[in-house]
Amino acid sequence: MSSGFQVNRAASITRKEVRHIFRDPFTLGWAFGLPLFFVIFFGYAIDFNVKEVRLVVSDQDNSRASRQLLEVFSGSKYFKLSQLPPGVSPQRDLSRERAKGVLLIEPGMGEALGSGKPYQIQLLLDGADNSTAGIIISYLAGIQQAAGKRLLNQTRSAPVRLQTRFLFNPELSSPWFVVPGLLAVVMGVLAIMLTALTVAREWESGSMELLLSTPVKPLEIILGKLTPYLVLSLLAVAMIYLVARLQFGLPFRGSQPLFLVGVILFLTLCLAQGLLISVVTRQQALAVQLAFLAGLLPPLLLSGFIFPVESMPAFFQYLTMLIPARWFIVISRGLFLKGSGVVELAVPLGMLLGMNLLLVAAALKRFKKDLEP
Amino acid sequence: MKKNQLAVQARHLSVRFGTFTAVDDISFAVRPGEIFGFLGANGAGKTTTIRVLCGLLIPSAGQAWVAGLDCQTQAADVKTKVGYMSQRFTLYSDLTVAENLAFTAALRKLDTRTLQRRTRELFDFIHFDYPQNSMVSDLPGGIKQQLALAAALLHDPPIIFLDEPTAGVAPAVRARFWSLIRQLARAGKTIFVTTHYLDEAENCRRIALMRDGQIIALDSPRRLKASAFPEPVLEIEPQPGTSREWLRKLKLDPRVARIQPHGRRYHVLVLNGPAWQGIARRLPKTLSLRRIQPSLEDVFIRLVEAEVSA
Repeated sequence: MSSGFQVNRAASITRKEVRHIFRDPFTLGWAFGLPLFFVIFFGYAIDFNVKEVRLVVSDQDNSRASRQLLEVFSGSKYFKLSQLPPGVSPQRDLSRERAKGVLLIEPGMGEALGSGKPYQIQLLLDGADNSTAGIIISYLAGIQQAAGKRLLNQTRSAPVRLQTRFLFNPELSSPWFVVPGLLAVVMGVLAIMLTALTVAREWESGSMELLLSTPVKPLEIILGKLTPYLVLSLLAVAMIYLVARLQFGLPFRGSQPLFLVGVILFLTLCLAQGLLISVVTRQQALAVQLAFLAGLLPPLLLSGFIFPVESMPAFFQYLTMLIPARWFIVISRGLFLKGSGVVELAVPLGMLLGMNLLLVAAALKRFKKDLEP
Repeated sequence: MKKNQLAVQARHLSVRFGTFTAVDDISFAVRPGEIFGFLGANGAGKTTTIRVLCGLLIPSAGQAWVAGLDCQTQAADVKTKVGYMSQRFTLYSDLTVAENLAFTAALRKLDTRTLQRRTRELFDFIHFDYPQNSMVSDLPGGIKQQLALAAALLHDPPIIFLDEPTAGVAPAVRARFWSLIRQLARAGKTIFVTTHYLDEAENCRRIALMRDGQIIALDSPRRLKASAFPEPVLEIEPQPGTSREWLRKLKLDPRVARIQPHGRRYHVLVLNGPAWQGIARRLPKTLSLRRIQPSLEDVFIRLVEAEVSA
């Protein structure tokens, strides 16, 4: 090769690509519409806190004590009670999805409490929905404490009391938890898809042949084509950041420059994945499908976005280490919520950097091999 | 380029993709200023050969030089010497005419003044009179084709590769395109053109016939015809509605080698030269009969048949 890398040539490819972007409403629509949709949808629709759980009550004791107990339940904002009609099987409402649980109070509660004997009431929960059931159980501890106070006048507290305070997200607000993770999922799929599309389009239309018949270098093509998409993705991240702060009231406790470093590391990884996909497929339709598959599923399932990595089987825990989104989510949540610094985020940042070096090198090599005669 | 230097030279060139041999040990040379035609069916290996010569593909065996440069080791320099118009339309439909040309110019590092001068010259050359800010997608097909040619000529290359430049365009546009090609050759450019329209190949100084990756014949159209058909070829055109009795008789005549229908006409191959006038005298007067030059299509059919029987 007679001449080296030429910035001017890369820049003219960038200029051309920017024109493509501005003349194609779909690209811009995807770039801003998709993240916006995801953030609004997930921010509002995913609420891990369960409120107003419907309980059906069958109070066969009907004493003062039992009524007081029910008042404790309905007094909390978590439960909504209704009476089980007489002669109806308690399971009926559960199986018809009319209630999440049935509270059974058998006769003798008032007497038992009067004589100081222990008394058990029964709560049947819909185990088919185990995440809701788990949350209901966690509420019961609070109910039990309140009931003890109310029914037995236990003003004296237990000798050892466990007091839980949630740090970083004191109200356990779901958007606070979801949005920083969502950033990884939506930006991953978007960046992979945009890259895969732009390179595949060049193959599909035959214009790659035009590029290759000129003295332009593969590296110039890559940098020229991907720079505008990196900028576009960064703008989309900025948009999500603003929605998170202004609409969902998220804090941002870490360093913003550090966040930018993390975002760029993550996005370049996604661009490299997209490049690999486009080299393999060379077709826009196929590239989009693969990009969605590669960009959406692993981050959704294996990144800790919804399912905590710590509760996965050991094999999957190791598998998640290969998912860039898993590390970026740690960075994102750390910076938004915890105010982590470089030291705390050294491992995820290092992992992203390492993967970058490997994947970008692999993608470039594969692309160059494909282009060079 | 030095005088008498060959514009293109291939020596025992082979390209294999896995077990498939696309180009099978071909050798040829193209002189400067020549219109050199590559003929053959789809898949005969024409495009693969061009891609090797333009430095887009490395041959599996053999060597090729373009403008005296090795296509393998000096690919980047080769690319500055050749203009390549690929079979597919390679300009960007969502960019304007001016943007497309400016982009090509930037990739080839032409300065603005050169770009403007060449654009003027080339627009004159192809008689392009649409506004420069028209979207390429809005132009008619034939104009797009000529614009693609202009883009390939922007850096004024001495050697021009045209891969099926007239595939899928209207006959009038094809004729117009070939007049451009002839003008380029007159201006001293070397033209390497592939086609599967055999009538177009008559425009070439020399043609190579390709089949299954091999060159089965290479010469000027006139000499190809002469060597493939040393005997006279008669064209007979019967009046509509006349009896076919003469045809039956002709088929039985020992001096007739073969009769091939061409639409309403018949091409009759006579075994030896002087015999054809004797044959002519025995045919009814209602038939119009003349001695013709065989078409390249006749040549191609004959050569392929010879290949198959051999």
